[in-house]
Amino acid sequence: MNDIGEFTLLLALATALYGCVAYVMSARGNRIDLYLSADKTPIIVWACVVISSICLWKAFLTDDFSLQYVWAYSNRELDTFYKISSFWGGQKGSLLFWTLLLSTYMLVVYFQNRKKNLRVVPYAMAIMLLIVVFFLFLINFSTNPFERIPLPPEDGRGLNPLLQNYWMVIHPPTLYLGYVGFTVPFAFAVAALISKDLDDGWIRMTRKWTLLSWFFLCMGNLFGASWAYVELGWGGYWAWDPVENAAFMPLLVATAYLHSVMIQEKKDMMKVWNMSLVLLTFAMTIFGTFITRSGLIQSVHTFDEATLGYYFLAFLFVIIFACAALIIARLPLLKSANELDSFLSRESSFLFNNLVLLGIAFATFWGTIFPIISEAVRGVKITVGPPFYNQVNVPIGLALLALIGIGPVIAWRRATFSNLKKNFLKPVSAGIVAAVVLFPVIPLGNRTEIYTYITFVLCVFVLTSMFTEFYKGTVSRMGLHDESAVGALATMTWRNKRRYGGYIVHMGVVLIFAGIAGSQAYGTHTEKHLQIGESFEIRGYTITYEKLIAVEATNVKTRIIAQLAVERDGKRYWTGHPEKEFYKGQNQPVSEVDVLSTWKEDLYMILADFREDESATIKVYVNPMVSWLWTGGWIIAFGSMISMWPDRLEQRRRLERVRRQEQLFPSPAQE
Amino acid sequence: MQTLKGVSIYSVIFSKATPLFYKGHSWPKAIFRDALKVLMGLLMLVWISVGQVSIVGAGALLQDLENALMCKCDDKCGKVLMNCTCSTADKTRANFSKMLESGLTVEQIIKMQVDEYGETVLSAPTKFGFNLTAWLTPFVALVAGGFGVRKVLLACVGKKSDSTEIPVPEPEISEKYSKRLKDELDGIEL
Repeated sequence: MNDIGEFTLLLALATALYGCVAYVMSARGNRIDLYLSADKTPIIVWACVVISSICLWKAFLTDDFSLQYVWAYSNRELDTFYKISSFWGGQKGSLLFWTLLLSTYMLVVYFQNRKKNLRVVPYAMAIMLLIVVFFLFLINFSTNPFERIPLPPEDGRGLNPLLQNYWMVIHPPTLYLGYVGFTVPFAFAVAALISKDLDDGWIRMTRKWTLLSWFFLCMGNLFGASWAYVELGWGGYWAWDPVENAAFMPLLVATAYLHSVMIQEKKDMMKVWNMSLVLLTFAMTIFGTFITRSGLIQSVHTFDEATLGYYFLAFLFVIIFACAALIIARLPLLKSANELDSFLSRESSFLFNNLVLLGIAFATFWGTIFPIISEAVRGVKITVGPPFYNQVNVPIGLALLALIGIGPVIAWRRATFSNLKKNFLKPVSAGIVAAVVLFPVIPLGNRTEIYTYITFVLCVFVLTSMFTEFYKGTVSRMGLHDESAVGALATMTWRNKRRYGGYIVHMGVVLIFAGIAGSQAYGTHTEKHLQIGESFEIRGYTITYEKLIAVEATNVKTRIIAQLAVERDGKRYWTGHPEKEFYKGQNQPVSEVDVLSTWKEDLYMILADFREDESATIKVYVNPMVSWLWTGGWIIAFGSMISMWPDRLEQRRRLERVRRQEQLFPSPAQE
Repeated sequence: MQTLKGVSIYSVIFSKATPLFYKGHSWPKAIFRDALKVLMGLLMLVWISVGQVSIVGAGALLQDLENALMCKCDDKCGKVLMNCTCSTADKTRANFSKMLESGLTVEQIIKMQVDEYGETVLSAPTKFGFNLTAWLTPFVALVAGGFGVRKVLLACVGKKSDSTEIPVPEPEISEKYSKRLKDELDGIEL
């Protein structure tokens, strides 16, 4: 079986290489025979990668420790659930998993577009195959997951305990789905540049892909934050770790693209800018992979055997230079004859939104690479950690939050003073009311608290502007169509999925801002060493240490559980069970926190230490508004689903527009 | 005013044609106005950054230390001490508590740590010398980007007025209807 897996990887590489060359030659030479031949390669490549992946999964599930990779990331005691996820637990498997997702995306693109634009699609397929070739080359010749051990050991080393968490099963695939997904718009953008087919056709073909990839990347980041919160046991969810940054940067650039592309769709402008943003987003995904696999930057996420950095760096440079050269060569074709109608327009607000999003992305990028720059310039290695990112990104983030509220309220093309006054009246009034009401309630003792106050005021402003948009549309529809409020709201949202789905996403983002602000400013924690029966108080909770329980969970895992009674207003409220898990062969135990999560705050408990006399050190955090963060995430997911849902009305409108254009400008054949 | 062979620097710098984005303005004044804005923006940003330093250095608290220093465990976890849960981090915290109780200030402890491990033990770059570029570059880039956006807007919005269009006689619409049209257009979301 392992031989089959290894062979199919080689076959996939050869086929992808052939397909790439054949697609390009068929497009350049207008050769239909080569095109028909090349057109089978995406299916063959996908089938080969799937067979290879099945072989590796089988090796995990059957404890085949003759494979070095299976030995390094699994053992006999590992749950089947985690044996499946061990596939992407290390560098070799994660690259194969990346290739599996990429070839699957490529297959879907192939079936979606093979009969559409024969000028752009062959080049797009060739670009995707070229990227597949790069990954398959690494897998075959540098980090082969089917590498054997001459004398197979009885048992494996096992999966890192930190990765044995359900979020860690979901988080990497979700993130990879986002990362890999951006290959599709990138491939179509480059194909449009090569083929000189630079109208907004490639944007329409890839709009849903961009949204889908953005959605997965966003969810991947949030799932990662959830994992950090429940598994790392430090009471936080985001540490500005270089690899977290690497996943955050493409999300920001892609968000900028999703907004600015609307200007191109509506006004046929910003072509160079949109092209650059798509290419930058893809470059950022490769940069993220470079960071994870180079070993250049210290991170909790980097792979043990991070040796592939230079391949990715070289790939990154090739992409950047090739794309920049292509854009420069096509500049005359990318120029737009259109113009903006006014400074005061939604288009302008989108430009500022792009500026702010890219500002945060640049600050994050700069912080991530600054240790390398410092070492190169001064010969001194320094660390750029959370204090830097918080100080630099928070003020820029507040500007972004304000723009979320301003953008949708300003009219497209040209805003007049009267409509600005009309549209801003309610949101600004709500913001002022919030500022006045919150002022005596919220402590403003330090800069963090001041930022938090501003955040809350802006959140109210933005939410009011969003609700006003929904309200106006609903009332207008109720008047025109004699519908109930709920019916009008639902129909209006359904008929304008992109617009109202986007507003819902914005509401989710607002909740995330509020959650971050609340949890950062008003959290508290305490650490106590307790004997059984002793209690302490924190923010109105009385916590009593009741007992310590030891459980031999498996042959390799022992759990030490502290039982803590939580009382509020003299009544038993909840029982917490934070624990430490000891894994055979691992130096450090793993903390499993217990969290009581409510809309107001999280009571977060950690068993920090314990002694033979059964005394224990308990660390308790009270983290306000953390659940707002997760709720915001689910609202973003809901809004994204609405935006991505296929819109037949939009398709019909587009068809009608094309027909009208054809009547206005008939082709020579029609004439 | 400094002069160079009888020619003022002013006239040397500003002798070229007026750039597009300053059309319609007294442009040397506009440049100074913009430069002043940038300067004020930068000063504000420096103030923000420096202000943070004073906050960090103000209170001799364990939390400040945990925020300002990295964990130096054997695993090279790369985490801020505040976020690390390993045994080395626990020992370091206990050690810092004792040091604070003995009367050492946060600054003294940080200096001791830097002497022992080098700058890499700090969780953020210092705010002097080369490291200052770490703090300022993002804001400088943002301000430069702001000018870029302004330039794009001025160039794109100004196009219409520059282009020579064939004058089309305006249809006669009564004031009443044009006001109604304007009101309705204001209310429409395109």
